[in-house]
Amino acid sequence: MGKNIVIVDDSESIREVVEFTLTNAGNNVKVAVDGEDALKYFDGSKIDLVVTDLYMPKMNGIELIREIRKKEDYKFVPILFLSTESQQEKKIEAKEAGATGWIVKPFVPEKLLAAMNKVIR
Amino acid sequence: MEQFKKKFLEEATELIANLEQALLSLDENPQDKSLHEEVFRIMHSLKGGSSMFGFDKIDAFTHELESIYDLVRNQKIELKRNILDITLESVDHIKILLESGDELSAENEKNHSNLLNKIYKITKSVSGDIITEKEEIEKHDDKNDNVIHNQLSDKPTYQISINPDENIFKNGTNPLYLIDELASLGHCKVFAKTNKIPEFDELKPELCYVSWEVFLSTDKSIDDINDVFIFVDDICEIEINKIDNSNLLEITAFTNEISNVVPDDGFSELDKIKELANNVKANEVKEEEAIKDQSSQDFYSQIKKNVISNIRVASDKLDDLMNLVSELITTQASLTLYAENNQNSELVTIAENIEKISRQLRDNTFEICLIPIDTMMVRFKRLVRDLSFELDKEIQFTAEGTETELDKTIIEGLTEPIMHIFRNSIDHGIESADERIKKGKPKQGTINFKAFHSGTNVYIQIKDNGRGLDAEKIREKAISRGFISPEANLSYQELINLVFLPGFSTASKVTEVSGRGVGLDVVVKKISDIRGEVEIESQLGVGTTITIKLPLTMSIIDGLLVEIDKTSFVIPLSSVDKCFEVKTETLNNNFNNRVKLDGSLIPYINLRKEFDINENCPDVQQVIRINYDNFNVGLSVDKVIGEYQAVLKPLGRLFKDLEIVSGATILGDGSIALVLDSGKIINTFDRETLERREAYYKGIKNIEDN
Repeated sequence: MGKNIVIVDDSESIREVVEFTLTNAGNNVKVAVDGEDALKYFDGSKIDLVVTDLYMPKMNGIELIREIRKKEDYKFVPILFLSTESQQEKKIEAKEAGATGWIVKPFVPEKLLAAMNKVIR
Repeated sequence: MEQFKKKFLEEATELIANLEQALLSLDENPQDKSLHEEVFRIMHSLKGGSSMFGFDKIDAFTHELESIYDLVRNQKIELKRNILDITLESVDHIKILLESGDELSAENEKNHSNLLNKIYKITKSVSGDIITEKEEIEKHDDKNDNVIHNQLSDKPTYQISINPDENIFKNGTNPLYLIDELASLGHCKVFAKTNKIPEFDELKPELCYVSWEVFLSTDKSIDDINDVFIFVDDICEIEINKIDNSNLLEITAFTNEISNVVPDDGFSELDKIKELANNVKANEVKEEEAIKDQSSQDFYSQIKKNVISNIRVASDKLDDLMNLVSELITTQASLTLYAENNQNSELVTIAENIEKISRQLRDNTFEICLIPIDTMMVRFKRLVRDLSFELDKEIQFTAEGTETELDKTIIEGLTEPIMHIFRNSIDHGIESADERIKKGKPKQGTINFKAFHSGTNVYIQIKDNGRGLDAEKIREKAISRGFISPEANLSYQELINLVFLPGFSTASKVTEVSGRGVGLDVVVKKISDIRGEVEIESQLGVGTTITIKLPLTMSIIDGLLVEIDKTSFVIPLSSVDKCFEVKTETLNNNFNNRVKLDGSLIPYINLRKEFDINENCPDVQQVIRINYDNFNVGLSVDKVIGEYQAVLKPLGRLFKDLEIVSGATILGDGSIALVLDSGKIINTFDRETLERREAYYKGIKNIEDN
């Protein structure tokens, strides 16, 4: 247990819910307010999971996923994205960028953990 | 959830402010694509948040609103003024919803449906392309997952083949987790096909060579099983077949035999499996199965605080902090004095450290309290937009320097007076389009807002190109009101300054907008409450400019502590340029109150004379050269003590007309020092005379040089 998880969302409230849920489930959580901000965590340190929003002012989620996948150390790190869109096209775009899975807002903590359990153990 | 909800409310308020701002920018540049995206993004965040925190009405409403901008950004409809109007109206409505906690009064309910109708009209107007974006919000299934089933034999058995693309790892997927998840659904048996794994030399660790065949017995539906693969359905071939309606995995014979049927290099044929199933069912033996219990955790049972990069603080807490810092600095001054008087070197060191730290603390606290003027801009833009619409005037609003920062208490005190100035400009200043055309002016009026730093002050200028002030009218009015006598011979500037007098209003009729009996005198009063000053410049037919001068901060300044006889004064350090020693004799025998410092003659004020202190005049005095707005003026004092942090206290109403003193401060020993206002000191010299003299002396110097 105790995964290193990076949460990226421009909405503080959502960030906190996700952070709270994941921290309570015993993980080490780091938060970033947008894609650009998140990149600072990808400095070679161990990251087990990334949870990112898609719509953010500075570097959106899809751009972030592409950036992460470019890095040798994080080619295979699972990335989940949060989205209110259950539209197929957005999912496909994110998947093509290299996302592992997604969580549809609104979600309850159990659902978040369920999605997380699909990609890390 | 409550704690997050509160956070969401704050956040939503901010989002709405940003949204308003973006919409107003759109009003100016309706075709700006990045703004379309921005508006959409903000609405989207708002929708996401409100759905998370149970603001269902906002969620649904914003969803509809967002659809418009989805169409706009995809260039399916053109952004017209009516759309922006409806959007702004909707934004106001969302504000109401937020404030009321997603509840609606009967009246608002009507407005709600009205707005929704208007929005529908816009989105439906896109012919043949009615939005189908309705989100299939995945309702969480609250059915209890932990019901214990004993009738294992009722669980159907499935054959599931999982054939991943070899690049599946590149999405961060670990296929083993999928199998784990399948196993958690029920009873299962897994066969891995490893035949494709190459020799070690050729093996690429980033590729997946394995596929799996899983036999699963579960009471979950095929949809539930499919859900396991929801993230990988594009990169993984999945086939799910039902073999039997009972739990074959309970039959030992089946589990024993099945390994013989399943091939190593491919998936078993369904027929063969079914055949085996029928055979073994004849002598079925039941086995017990362990029941998986997924204990649900109570996620909110404990709260853990985490540090994030930004925190929100209630503004009154900041005020408290500021007050405490002021107290600390006053106390620290006493400590420093005490330490010096006691000749205890250790104590002096400690006092110096505390002084250093309290200075840093003060600077940091100041910085925390600074906010950009930008925060007020949305209200102004909105005011200009709405008012110009209401009064049917065309006005272009521009703003510069809005990133300039000011103390938040100043900003708070500033919004209302500035709004008033805007109202005046729009209502009385800018003419109607017809009138402007008649006068040969461009049809569109302009109002320019400009903020900038100068020295220790921030200036805010509001400039319109309207009709300007009519000095004759002002004069007549002033005479009729008894402010001036008919014989008074006043300059244009003196006349227009009369508009600042209480009870003065030039508008011939009182309008809805600005003539509410509140005049510019209130603006002056409010701004002087925050130690600011207002100036007005105007040219008939050309326009009016109102300039507000504000101090950077209100409470603590870095000063130079000086003494005249036994009285202490503080001069703001930011304006102090240099200190000189000058013989009292020289000061007394000068021409025109000028003293030669560093080779140039500058005017000076003898503070001894100014404050009428005549005792104990030293032979050598100090002249402090202060610089303000590019003018140099000397101030003569007896002694310069050194730097001092002055906590500024107002002097009270009795002294409000005192020209050159801006306040008082308490010194370490409890005595009081007056804080001089360098700007006002310079202003006591007539500016024009100063300039003329400057030119004159430069001329003399040039002649001397030649």
